[in-house]
Amino acid sequence: MAGLVTDTLAAADRPEPAGAAGPPSARSLAERLSRVRWWRVLMLAVVAIYLLGPLLSALWFTVYNARLHRFSLAPYGQLFGASGFLTSVRMTFFLALSTIALEFVLLVPAMVAIRLRLPRLRGVVESIAMVPLVVSPVALTAGVSTVLGWGLNDQGSWMFRLDADLQNQSFPLILPLVYAILVLPFAFRALDAALRAVDLKTLVEAARGLGASWPVVLWRVLLPNLRAGLLSGAVLTLALVFGEYTIASILGFVPFAVWIVQDGQGSGQLPIAVSLLSLLLSWAVLFLVSFLGGRRAAAVTDRSA
Amino acid sequence: MPAAGLELSALRRSYGAVHALDGLDLALAPGELVALLGPSGCGKTTALRIVAGFERPDAGQVRLDGADITPVSAAKRDMGMVFQSYSLFPHLTAAENVAFGLRLRKTAAPQRKARAEELLELVGIAGHGARYPHQLSGGQQQRVALARALAIRPKVLLLDEPLSALDAKVRLQLRDEIRRVQLDLGITTLFVTHDQEEALSMADRVAVMRSGQLEQCAAPAQLYDRPATAFVAEFVGTMNRLRGTMIDLDVVEVAGRRLPVDGERPVPGTKVEVLLRPEAIELEAIEPDSAADRAGADPAVGTVRTATFLGAITRVAVTLEDGTEVKADLPSHRASEFPAGGRARLTPAPRPVLVVAP
Amino acid sequence: MALTLDPPLTDAADPVPARRGARRPRALGAWAAVAPLLIYCTIFLGLPTWALLYEAVRRTNPATGVTSFTAQNLTDSWSGFYLTAMWGSLRLSLLTATISAIIGLATAHAIAQSRGRVLKQAVLTASGVLANFGGIPLAFCFIAAAGTAGEATGLIRKIDPGFALDTFTGLVLVYPYFLIPLMVLTTMPALEGLRRQWREAATGLGGTAWDYWRHIGGPILLPTALGGFVLCFGSAFAAYATAQALAGGTVPLITLRIASVLSGNVLAGQENLGMAMSLNTIAICALMMAVYLPLRARSARWLDS
Repeated sequence: MAGLVTDTLAAADRPEPAGAAGPPSARSLAERLSRVRWWRVLMLAVVAIYLLGPLLSALWFTVYNARLHRFSLAPYGQLFGASGFLTSVRMTFFLALSTIALEFVLLVPAMVAIRLRLPRLRGVVESIAMVPLVVSPVALTAGVSTVLGWGLNDQGSWMFRLDADLQNQSFPLILPLVYAILVLPFAFRALDAALRAVDLKTLVEAARGLGASWPVVLWRVLLPNLRAGLLSGAVLTLALVFGEYTIASILGFVPFAVWIVQDGQGSGQLPIAVSLLSLLLSWAVLFLVSFLGGRRAAAVTDRSA
Repeated sequence: MPAAGLELSALRRSYGAVHALDGLDLALAPGELVALLGPSGCGKTTALRIVAGFERPDAGQVRLDGADITPVSAAKRDMGMVFQSYSLFPHLTAAENVAFGLRLRKTAAPQRKARAEELLELVGIAGHGARYPHQLSGGQQQRVALARALAIRPKVLLLDEPLSALDAKVRLQLRDEIRRVQLDLGITTLFVTHDQEEALSMADRVAVMRSGQLEQCAAPAQLYDRPATAFVAEFVGTMNRLRGTMIDLDVVEVAGRRLPVDGERPVPGTKVEVLLRPEAIELEAIEPDSAADRAGADPAVGTVRTATFLGAITRVAVTLEDGTEVKADLPSHRASEFPAGGRARLTPAPRPVLVVAP
Repeated sequence: MALTLDPPLTDAADPVPARRGARRPRALGAWAAVAPLLIYCTIFLGLPTWALLYEAVRRTNPATGVTSFTAQNLTDSWSGFYLTAMWGSLRLSLLTATISAIIGLATAHAIAQSRGRVLKQAVLTASGVLANFGGIPLAFCFIAAAGTAGEATGLIRKIDPGFALDTFTGLVLVYPYFLIPLMVLTTMPALEGLRRQWREAATGLGGTAWDYWRHIGGPILLPTALGGFVLCFGSAFAAYATAQALAGGTVPLITLRIASVLSGNVLAGQENLGMAMSLNTIAICALMMAVYLPLRARSARWLDS
């Protein structure tokens, strides 16, 4: 029930509120600050310890072999050789790509159309985008597995064959289909923020007035301007799919997150090394993307979170 | 409520290498409205904030009725401040906003209500008290902000470019309103603006600032007619620059006329640029290719480029032979004498002028 | 002529609804663009939800094999074993949401004051990662830090001798790890939206810092803070991956129960109980949303004005 990174990607680049420009005031502010600063620093320190602690612990755990009393980066090297690692990463990667593609094919035309011609539908779509947050992943999985189960009774039917295809172990098509729903709230927010930052109507009218056909408008005018929002949406989706455990494990598939748990039954250091890496990697990518999108998102004042 | 005198002496404030204020001296008589006018970065807002107490000066004093209030905190200075925008508390109604200062002073509810209504009426929006800021227009919001600042009966009223964020028409309306209220209450007021028209029309005196220092502080008419420096001359109103030569110690020759020089007097023989107001230039239409036109390279003759209709006045732009563009004002009924492309002769009025280096 | 700088009311920049008549053929194209999204959501969101509703009120008698409509599932889901799970989830969510809301708000306030843009961006994106995508990796890091053989377990046992990660208390330690970042993300925009002019106006009118927070800052932030709390609650309530990885068989939580029912771990004839429980979770989350949305709308109005 989370997902407000998109807001902050926009929010953190928002320029200072009007009238706030100007250097900080002198001694009066400093006086006030010195009084409160100490408790604020203390609190931030405690929170930082709490947040960094487990990460550092995990790091220590993976590089220090307690039994042999020596340091070694071996677990990180073993990653690639671990059975199932590359398979699950590859599968998860393609799952993510499919989800991203599906998501954008569904959302971009719809949101552009709504913004240009059907503004009253915006409320409807925004509410729909909220529903996945209400129907939590577990409940959604329950519903999905029920629907899939309906097809199992009649062995020869088309539904049975469809079910089988959807639940193919090496590439379960059902997963991107469901992930697209899960990602909806995030992708909607990212795209909405990107659309708000651009004066869509004027751009489209200008392009159409110069004689561009709709496909050309979409490809050459809209997509380049929405690039920041699309990129952040894609990165969020990628991270979400890689971190997704609930649906995949309940339905019985083994993408990345599930693999970590399964493999975790064995040697202690490997799954923890993988976990650390995936966390750090997601953060690094999001961090970089937030700067790439920075300038465009700066115009948005989406404080509605 | 007796008005208070405000004095700024030798104020200095720097931010790192930037000298926002470089020795500012200014005195406001009780009940006076002084406008701090200048381009952005000149230090006017810094000065205002120091008076309000939001910033501390590196050196200098602020005195209220003779008492040094420099070390006093902003909350205790008893001054009313109106910000440029977005300063109303969004979760309170207009009336509640106005009454806020009184609420902090533990005034009883009935008195607060009465006072708020009184002030809302004073600023011209009686009846809107129950509205929230987002339901009010920009102009209405600033009226509420003014009422809020006045509710606590401050000794001094401070306004930080209150009209800059408003529509042109609303700006004009509010300009008069603010001045009316200020005169009614007789409250000492310091008004910061970058709009010279605003300053000239509202203030008893205008203090023109540049780079942290005061260039001139005088009544609007004096500022306009007798600017002390070239900066003031060009900042306030429109100024032309014509090429001329110093002939004598205090006489300059320009456009075929000799005029007395005020202010800086360069050595005779120096080439200078002479500052002339548009209304101080006489225009005379000349027949093209007439004898007058062909009378040699007359520096005072040029080609009419455009004529801009401004209502009662039309501003005619003439390009002289040496490339200088000059703007001259004349009554609009004469505008037809000067079609675009026609020729005209300029004659500066026989009044003292300021000169600057070219 | 100068333009007014009156800030637009939310969505005031949206284009005027299309006029009828000449526009109708083009609006048709717009509908065609929106249709795929709507159809997709109907199938992959609506269908599973409908399946839940349908199956939740049916039960197959194991003896006779007859399926019939009944409210038995729903009643069972609120009793005994399952009630414990629901109660456990509610308690855990309430407790962790409260802790995280308070700490998160204070942290966000501290960060909002800082000036370094890179630092802020780093913290915000890290929060995004932890809040949304940390489930499994997070669990493993905590196992390394505070599990049975964890680095910090000894330290923690000094304060609470009976501490173990796979208990209720253990989860209370872990959940804030993703809830605090969530709270930070939710409230950060609001904290940054507190205009400097409000503080200065309050001071100029004679108010102290306490006056400001009591009359201005507090009331303005309250809707956002409450909204953040509600989101944290919902997120904790719906959490599965972390709980499963850490306390799969040991702590009674509704999401874990649903998953175990879905994998067949239930008495014969009671398979549909999972559906009933899922419905319950949807109901609770819907309730949360009903509280959250008006709060968000109100604070957006204040902070956008």
